[in-house]
Amino acid sequence: MKKILIFCIAFFAVLVTLVNIPNVSAAKPHYVITTDATYPPFDFQDKNNQYTGIDQEILKTIAKRQGFTYTLKPMSFNSATQSVSSGQADGVIAGMSITDERKEVFDFGTPYYRSGIGWAVKKGSDVKSLKDLKGKTVALKTGTSGADYALSVQKKYGFKVTYFNDSDTLYNDVINGNTQATFGDLPVIQYAVKNGTQLKVMNAKSPIEAGWYGFGVKKGDNAKLLTAFNKGFADIKADGTYDKIVAKYLGSSAATFTGNKKDNSSVLGILKSNDQAFLKGLWQTVLLTVLAIVLASIWGVFLGIMGISQVAGIRALSTTIIYIFRGLPLMVLAFFIYIGLPSVIGMKIPAFIAGLVTLILNEGAYTGAFVRGGFEAVEHGQMEAARSLGLPYGKSMRKVIMPQGLKIMIPSFVNQFIITLKDTSILSAIGILELTQTGTLIVSRNSQGFRVWAIVAAIYLIVITLLTWLSNWVEKRTRA
Amino acid sequence: MSDAQAKVKVHVEKVNKSYGDNHVLRDISLDIAENEVVVMIGPSGSGKSTFLRMLNQLEMPDDGTIVVDGFNISDKSTDINKVRENIGMVFQSFNLFNNYSVLENIMLAPIETGKMDKAAAETKARQLLDTVGLSEKADVSVNSLSGGQKQRIAIARALAMEPDIMLFDEPTSALDPEMVGDVLEVMKNLAESGMTMIIVTHEMGFAKQVADRVVFFESGKIQESGAPKQVFDAPKNERLQEFLSKVMHA
Ligand SMILES: Nc1ncnc2c1ncn2[C@@H]1O[C@H](COP(=O)(O)OP(=O)(O)OP(=O)(O)O)[C@@H](O)[C@H]1O
Ligand SMILES: [Mg+2]
Repeated sequence: MKKILIFCIAFFAVLVTLVNIPNVSAAKPHYVITTDATYPPFDFQDKNNQYTGIDQEILKTIAKRQGFTYTLKPMSFNSATQSVSSGQADGVIAGMSITDERKEVFDFGTPYYRSGIGWAVKKGSDVKSLKDLKGKTVALKTGTSGADYALSVQKKYGFKVTYFNDSDTLYNDVINGNTQATFGDLPVIQYAVKNGTQLKVMNAKSPIEAGWYGFGVKKGDNAKLLTAFNKGFADIKADGTYDKIVAKYLGSSAATFTGNKKDNSSVLGILKSNDQAFLKGLWQTVLLTVLAIVLASIWGVFLGIMGISQVAGIRALSTTIIYIFRGLPLMVLAFFIYIGLPSVIGMKIPAFIAGLVTLILNEGAYTGAFVRGGFEAVEHGQMEAARSLGLPYGKSMRKVIMPQGLKIMIPSFVNQFIITLKDTSILSAIGILELTQTGTLIVSRNSQGFRVWAIVAAIYLIVITLLTWLSNWVEKRTRA
Repeated sequence: MSDAQAKVKVHVEKVNKSYGDNHVLRDISLDIAENEVVVMIGPSGSGKSTFLRMLNQLEMPDDGTIVVDGFNISDKSTDINKVRENIGMVFQSFNLFNNYSVLENIMLAPIETGKMDKAAAETKARQLLDTVGLSEKADVSVNSLSGGQKQRIAIARALAMEPDIMLFDEPTSALDPEMVGDVLEVMKNLAESGMTMIIVTHEMGFAKQVADRVVFFESGKIQESGAPKQVFDAPKNERLQEFLSKVMHA
């Protein structure tokens, strides 16, 4: 195990030096800030694929006024908070509620937004208060705090409930009159209303179970960043900038941020208005795939050669490495490397590097297993014949066993390449902005799940087809 | 070759070998002189292959001494690769390299061991192909050859290293009967040229013709050895008599 750890660390060190880490200017302090990639109206991508929203404008304005710079790392909400608690990032702004539990782990800045649960009905509805819901049906989104709250008061007000997974469908159900009301995060409903949804928010001024959102840094660390945030926040609150920002997101129409309807209602429109995002995502996927294929193949062949070594200890080491990294789910390994390791080795690992290393270790283990199998499948007599002619072990391997073994393995390699390409999508979990994550971001903005995922699926199939052609071409050439 | 002056090429003394509880070779001692042709016969499982494979360290003895060409190969610290360059081996299953053409099979070892440059290796290979009567097969893939052709190529491949000892482990046992003659012919010529040869075979006629000495293995022991005439026509050992009556009437 120790050897593996040392190897991993050495590997990171090499890779880290190979990859550009944002230049830190000497004059201004520089921070890494994480955020939830999809939480409108607080955090989301606008039609130009720039991160925007209430959180982002507050942060940008404060940074400018307080004279610090930052690199923004959008990812899932859970990864965003864990990155900060593990020291991978300096701060998190992600519509995060200040709770006693989180106060154990984070130091929070001045609470910056009062949020809570809101409820809404169809415009022009007869329902004027919660009491009017008696006998009516309420639409809820699964797993939300709005749903939890509605259930807790269901008996008291005597309504029925029905569940939805998708906000758009849910809102339409209320508007069409199948259901009569909905409960949800107040700012999220407000944002939908401002975006043209024909609902009326009933408690805009008095959120239920109200709480505050806060900017968080790791407990005990980064007091400087927190002070700067608080000073800057007091400043924008005092001069009205804060109110303007909030009004901008909760007071203007959807198209301002998400692009117009025409762009979003056809596959071509979506492709055209997001071409840069898709290209960038595709590039990350391809880069990750190509690097992972090359490095995992090298590592896998190395493991495979170790696996047929004449020394029992080396064979055992190979078996152990393959066992561990084939056994770990890819996502667990990614989280372990990206979020777990940095606190142990005291060094930040960029998400791309963490993702690449994850792929190398995982795909390399599978490769190692079939490489070992391929070498073992070469007739025993081939090695004996080579050795009996006076060729040393290494030369016999290279000249006789490996060429025959690798030929047996070619289909397995092609298969592994395709799996590697598909596995890159799992790395969206640690915030790598590859093709899948790009799709997630675009859907969260335009709610066109069917069209966007169809586009993403088509792109994957095209790349896989090209990869297969390339592999077949290489296979034919090596056979000639 | 009972000449006492003859140089000893292979010296085996009190060698034992076991696989688990299976005591395969028991206290074997045997000396083989330069230019001598020794044929080993015996029932299946008697240890003939194991003995032969020890002479180029494809198997290690548990104890005892094996000296080949003056190198003590029962000692782990001997550079076995150098010794093997001088010992050719021919297997029952040919073991031609599937990833090379016929010519490349023969050229590989001389080039990779640094014994010859590419041009010299090719000249040598073509000359050997001529010797085994397969010149026209130089550039074909080994998988397109018949068994008899494969075995003649395997012999050529071993000879390309210009060895001074050749080991054969049942070289004709995997061949169709009509192919056997071609291979034995090549081996006979080789014996006549003065090569030191140790051959495991069931071809009794061939043994009578080319052997200087016939060695009978049974139960991991050399039960009897001597000139072919003596061993085949006047066997003393009871088990040898039994063995011969079986193979001769088969
Ligand atoms: N690698 C091995 N592991 C275990 N047992 C072995 C091994 N090689 C040979 N043996 C055993 O050693 C004994 C002698 O085998 P060997 O191959 O030397 O016999 P042989 O005289 O060549 O027989 P045949 O005429 O069938 O080739 C047999 O019982 C065989 O099963
Ligand atoms: Mg045998």
